[in-house]
Amino acid sequence: MKDSRLIIFSILFGVFYLVCFYYDLALFRYYPEVRQFHFLRNDGLGVVILWYGWIATSALASAAIAFAVPRNMADRLWPGWAWIIPTAAVVGMLIYERRWFTL
Amino acid sequence: MIVVLLILHGLLAVALLGAITHQALSVVTTAPANGRWTFIDRFRGVDATAYATPIVVLFAITAIGGALLYPQYRIDVRPALEDTQNSAANGVFEIKEHLVAIGLGLLPVYWLFWRKPRGPETVAARRYLTWLLAFFVWWSFIVGHVLNDIRGLLP
Repeated sequence: MKDSRLIIFSILFGVFYLVCFYYDLALFRYYPEVRQFHFLRNDGLGVVILWYGWIATSALASAAIAFAVPRNMADRLWPGWAWIIPTAAVVGMLIYERRWFTL
Repeated sequence: MIVVLLILHGLLAVALLGAITHQALSVVTTAPANGRWTFIDRFRGVDATAYATPIVVLFAITAIGGALLYPQYRIDVRPALEDTQNSAANGVFEIKEHLVAIGLGLLPVYWLFWRKPRGPETVAARRYLTWLLAFFVWWSFIVGHVLNDIRGLLP
């Protein structure tokens, strides 16, 4: 991956992760009680871990777009977006996760 | 086995915390007062670039260790927290897993800006990325330890 594509990957990863966990877009699900991975939801297998699947979906989506963006456009990207957009994703996540702290 | 992994995960986290804190303080732009070097100045006075690769490796390995421990947490610890209606503890852990995931995604650009400087326009981005990762690491470290010890901490 060229340098500018790495920057795009990192910028988009946080945004895609936010979308993935908000809409439960996990590439796969892990059921730790039966130690099984599944692509589809299986309610009878106990608790489910979506976190691995969210990371996988975000990584694939970010990489796909990083490769799809034309090279000249990628090279013109302002470096500041590399921290501003992930910070915005973190703020959005923190706002959503306030639900755990309401009385 | 899980205890060994937990201790290893904690030790790697200590190393990561030290490295990222050195680097995060090294990019604070203040000069030593009166030319005298305090403990903080010496703490900051490191070759910050040399820390970038070890931080990426430590972050990735520590995150993988956490991912391997996560099923045990999901089966044993989280239901216990839910039974005691301790939603704040669950919440801080949820935030930890999100921060670690977003941090993993930031590692390529973080490494790139430290190892291949692209001119003065990347200096600020590099500084803020370092502080962002330092926040993620500190949050994860404190939350991990509090939750590990929560039965002893709460009445």
